[in-house]
Amino acid sequence: MTYGAWICLLSPLAGALAITLAGERISRRAAGWISTLTTFAAFGGALVAFGALWARDHGDRQELSTAYTWLSVGDFEVGMEILVDPLASVMMLVVSGVGGLIVWYSMGYMAGDDEERRFFAYMSLFVFSMLLLVQAGNFLLLLAGWGLVGLASYLLIGFWHHRAEAVAAAKKAFVMNAIGDATFMLAAVLLVWETGTLEYLGVFEEVGGLSDTTVTLVALGLLGGAVAKSAQVPLHTWLPDAMEGPTPVSALIHAATMVTAGVYLLVRAHPIFEAAVEVQQLAAILGAVTLLVAGVIALVQWDIKRVIAYSTMSQIGYMFLGAGIGAYGFAIFHLLTHAFFKALLFLAAGVVIHHLADEQDIRRMGGLKDELPRTHVAFLIGTLALVGIPPFAGFWSKDAILAATVESGGALGWTLFLAGLAGTVLTGAYAFRLYFAVFHGPRGEAAAAHAGHGEGPRSMLVPVGALAGLSVVGGLVSIPGVWHPFTSWVDETGEPLVEPVASLEYLVSAIAVALGLVGVWLARRAFLADRQLVTSPEAWRVLEHKLYFDELYDALFYRPAEAISAGLLHNVEEPVVERSLDEIGSGTIQAGGGVARLQSGLLRSYAVAVAVAVVVLVVVFVAVR
Amino acid sequence: MLTTSLILLPVVGALLVAVLPLPRLTTAGLAFLVALLEVALWIVAAGRFDFDDPALQLGTSREWVESLGISYTVGFYGFSLWLAGATVIVCAAAIGYALWVGRDRPRAYHALMLLLTGAVVATFAAQDLLLFYVAFEAMLIPLYVLVGVWGGARRIAATLTFVVYTMAGSLLMLASVVAYGVTQGTFSLQEPGTSANTWIFLGFAIAFAVKAPLFPLHGWLPLAYREAPVEVAAVLSAIVSKTAVYGFLVIVLPRFPEPVDDFTGLILALSAAGLVYGSLLAFRAPDLRGIVAYSSLAQMGLITLGLFALNDLGLSGAVLQSVAHALVSTTMFLLVGMVERRCGTGDLDALGGMARGRPILATVLLTAGMIALAVPGSVTFAGEFLIMTGVYAEGWGYSVVVALAIVLAAMYTLRLISAVLHVRPGPAVRDEALDLRPVELGLLLPLVACLIALSVWPALVSESAFWRGTPAAIVEEEP
Repeated sequence: MTYGAWICLLSPLAGALAITLAGERISRRAAGWISTLTTFAAFGGALVAFGALWARDHGDRQELSTAYTWLSVGDFEVGMEILVDPLASVMMLVVSGVGGLIVWYSMGYMAGDDEERRFFAYMSLFVFSMLLLVQAGNFLLLLAGWGLVGLASYLLIGFWHHRAEAVAAAKKAFVMNAIGDATFMLAAVLLVWETGTLEYLGVFEEVGGLSDTTVTLVALGLLGGAVAKSAQVPLHTWLPDAMEGPTPVSALIHAATMVTAGVYLLVRAHPIFEAAVEVQQLAAILGAVTLLVAGVIALVQWDIKRVIAYSTMSQIGYMFLGAGIGAYGFAIFHLLTHAFFKALLFLAAGVVIHHLADEQDIRRMGGLKDELPRTHVAFLIGTLALVGIPPFAGFWSKDAILAATVESGGALGWTLFLAGLAGTVLTGAYAFRLYFAVFHGPRGEAAAAHAGHGEGPRSMLVPVGALAGLSVVGGLVSIPGVWHPFTSWVDETGEPLVEPVASLEYLVSAIAVALGLVGVWLARRAFLADRQLVTSPEAWRVLEHKLYFDELYDALFYRPAEAISAGLLHNVEEPVVERSLDEIGSGTIQAGGGVARLQSGLLRSYAVAVAVAVVVLVVVFVAVR
Repeated sequence: MLTTSLILLPVVGALLVAVLPLPRLTTAGLAFLVALLEVALWIVAAGRFDFDDPALQLGTSREWVESLGISYTVGFYGFSLWLAGATVIVCAAAIGYALWVGRDRPRAYHALMLLLTGAVVATFAAQDLLLFYVAFEAMLIPLYVLVGVWGGARRIAATLTFVVYTMAGSLLMLASVVAYGVTQGTFSLQEPGTSANTWIFLGFAIAFAVKAPLFPLHGWLPLAYREAPVEVAAVLSAIVSKTAVYGFLVIVLPRFPEPVDDFTGLILALSAAGLVYGSLLAFRAPDLRGIVAYSSLAQMGLITLGLFALNDLGLSGAVLQSVAHALVSTTMFLLVGMVERRCGTGDLDALGGMARGRPILATVLLTAGMIALAVPGSVTFAGEFLIMTGVYAEGWGYSVVVALAIVLAAMYTLRLISAVLHVRPGPAVRDEALDLRPVELGLLLPLVACLIALSVWPALVSESAFWRGTPAAIVEEEP
C-alpha cells in the first residue's frame, strides 16, 4: 500500500527533475508529456494506495511509512514519513487526478509559449509539493509541503515575469503566505515543547493533557496558516491578484488544490481544534465572513477570472464553515466537488480567453454560445454546480454543510446558516451575471475583433469534458437518506461533531435551491434590463475597491515597514554605525600626509590600537588579580 | 595528522603559489587545484570521523611552550568538522571564481586566499587558546590586504574601518586569552576549568561579536562587503563570520558559565534586534550587495539566538544554520558578482529583466534565493525551526521575532530576485549580456547541490553536530 503512496509522491518530482535537467535537449511537447504522464502515474499510485486501504478492515485504515529521519537533535526527531489514511487517500486522488487533467489541458493552452518547458517543470513541482502536503505524516513535513506549494504558486503566478503586475502579484502571494507559514511554525514550536513530537498521531494523543492556553495558541497558529493559504479574510487579498498567472495555474493551484489546503489542515488537525473550541468556531466565522465578502465583491468584477477567483474564496468559506462546526466529511466533500466544478469553470474560461486572444474583460465579451457550443455547455454545467442546482455536484455538498449548521444550532449555528443562505443568493447572482455576460447577448467587441482559435485542440477539450462529467455526477457519492460512502470514508479520519438527519437536509436543500434561483433570477433580470446588479454608485465604488483591504494593509504594514527601514538607514545606520570611525579614519589619513602615504596611516592606527591594547591588558590584569 | 595536513596543505600551497615563477593562469590554476585537494582531504577526514564519539578526533598534540602551558593541539568535534567542511568548499568556490575572472597579480592574490583558507581551518581546529588566537589573527592579515588592494573604489576606507574594528576586538581577545591562560595555568582547551571573571568573558564576547558581526558592532560590515572583491566578501560573510560561532561554542559558552548566565539576556536581546534591524535594512538597501550583506547581519543574529538558547535544539540549529548560511551566502555573493560583471553595477534600479533568455541564471538565482529566504522544506528552514524552537526556552518573544524575520526575509529576498530577473531590462542590462557560462555554473552547482542535499537530509548535520544522546555536552544545563 505504501509503495503506491510513495510512487504517487515521487513520480511528479521525478518529472520536474527530468524536465529541468533535460533543458533544451527535449522538445516542448515532450516536456508536456513528461509532466502529464508523471502526474497520471501519481494518480495510479494513489489508486493503488486507495484500493489497498479500501480492502482493509474498518479501523485499521491507517499506515505510517517512514523512509528516514529528516531532522533530528537528541531525542527530538522528525521523520521523512507519509501517513496513508482515508483523508489522505481522498486528497491524493483529487490532487493527482484533477491535477493530471489540468496539466494535460495545459499542453494545448500553453502551446506556442516561449517557455513551455519551464511551465511544465513548475507544474510538476507543484503537484509534488501538494502531494507532500497531503501525504505528510507529521506537522513539519506538512509545513514543508505547505511552503513548497507556496513557492510553486509564486513561480507560476509570476510565470510571465516580464509583466510587472504578474511579478507584483506573485510577490504578494508569497509574502502573505509567509505570514501564515510563520504562525504555523510558531504553533509547531509550541507542539515540540508541549508534546515532544510533531508526528500527527503522537500529538493528537497528547492534546488532552495540554493547557487551554497552549492548545488555543497552537490552534490559532495553525489557523493563521490555513487562513493565508486558503485566502480567507483577513489574509485573502493575494488570491484575486494571483489571476495574473496562466489560466491552468488558476485552475490547479488557485481553485482545485492548493487553496483548499487550509480546509485539509482544519480536518487533519481536528483533535487540536476540537480542544480549542473558540478557535474552531473562529474558523467557521471567518469562513462565513469570507463567503459574504467575496460574494459581494464578485458582483462588480469585470475580469472573467477574477469573478471565478472570488467565487473560489467564497466556496472555500463554505468549507471553513463546515470544518469549523465539525462537519469534516461534508467540508472535504465540498472540497471534492468544488475541485471538479471550479477547475471546470477555469478551464472553460481558459477556452474563452484562448479563443479571444487573451481577452479577459467580460464587457468585451458576449454571445459566445454559438461560437463555442461545447464550452458553453461545460461552463453552464460548472455554473449550475457552483450555484448548487440539483443534481449537479455542488448541490449535494454545499447543502450538506448548510444543514450541518442548523444541526449544530445555537446562536452561532443559526447565524452561520443565515450567512450561508445569503451567500447562496449572491452565488446565483454573480455566477449567472458572468454566464450571461460571456455567452449571451450581442457578440462582444473582442469576439468581433478576432477570428478566434475556436475550442482548441483535443488535449484541451477532453479534460474539460471529463471535468464536466464529474461536475454532473461527482456529487452522487453522498446522497442524504440513500447512501453516503464518501463522507463515511472521510469520517474515519475525523469523527464528525454534527450529523444532520436526512429530512433536515431535504428541507435545507429546498430553501437553498430556492434562494439560489432567486439569485439567478436577479442576474437574469439585470441582464435583460441591461443594467448592473449593484446600482448604487457609492456601493459600486466600495466594492470596486474590494472593501479597501489593500489600501488598509498598505497603510498599516507596508508603508510603516518601508518608513521604519528608511528611518533606520538614514538615522541610525549611516550616521551612527557606518560613520563611527570616519573621525579616526580621516584623522590618521591627514596625519599620514594624505592618501598617497596611506600605508603609514595604517601603521599609525596599528600603533594606536596596540597602545590601547596595552592599557586594556593592564586593566584586565588588575581586574583579575 | 589529518587535521594538521588540512591546515598545512593550503599554507604550503600558498608558499608554492607565491614562489614558483609560473604564468598567470597556471598560478591561479595551481591555487584552485590546491583548494580542490583540500576539499578531497576534508572528505577523507569526514570519512574517518566517528560521529558517535563525543571526544576530540583526528587530533594531534605537541608541547609548544611547556613552561607556559601552551601547546599545539588541534582536532575536530562534530560541529567543527562541519564548519571546516563549509570552509574548504566555500574557499574552493571563491578561488575558482577568482581564477575565472582573472584577478590581477595572481601570485599574491592566490597565495593570500590559500593562507586565509589555512588560517580559517586552523581556527576551527585549534584546541589551545593561544593557537586559536594566532590562527584568528592569521586570518585577518590576508583579509586586510585582499580588501585593501583588490577592492572597489572605496577600498581604503573599507579596509581602515575593518582594521580598526577587528584590531580592537583582537586586542581585547588577546588580553582575555592571556588573562585566562595565566589564571588557569594552561591555555589548553582540552583541560577542564571555568572562569567566573566577567572582564575576561567580555573580552572574548566582544571580539566574537565584532567578528560575526553582531548588532550594533557591525560598523565595518556595509563597506567591507560592498568594497571587497565579491569572492572575498563571500568568504567573509560565509566562514570568517563563523569563526565567531566557533569561538562562542568552544570558549565563551563552556568556559564562562556564570558570566554567560548574567549576559544571556543582553546578548539575546541584541541578537534579536540585529535580526530585525538587518532584515529591515536589507529590505531598504539600494544594491545587491547591500541586501546580501545586511541579510548576513540578520542571519548572524539568528545564529547567535540559537547559541544562547543554551539548549541542544538551539545549539544544533545554530551549527546547521551556520553551515547552510555559509553555502547560501557564497552562492548569493558569487551570483551578485556574475550579475555585476555583466551589468557593471549592482544598483537595483539599473537592473531587471535578466530572466528572459537566461534560463540558467534565473534557475540558479531562484533556487539559491528560495533557500536563502528559508522556504519551508529547505535546510535553512530546518535550521531556523530548530533555533526558533530552542530559543523558545529563553522566552516566547524571541521565537516571535524569528517568525517576524521569516516574513521580512521573504520580502527582501523576493525584492532582490525580482530586481535582477523580472519585468523590463534595466538600463545596465544589455541584450548581449550572456547567460551563466559553463564555468560559472560549474562553480555554483556544487554549492547548490550541497544545499539541496542538506535540504533532503538536514539530520546529517543536526544530529552529528554534537554527540548523539548527550548533544549539549558543552553546556552544563539540560533544557
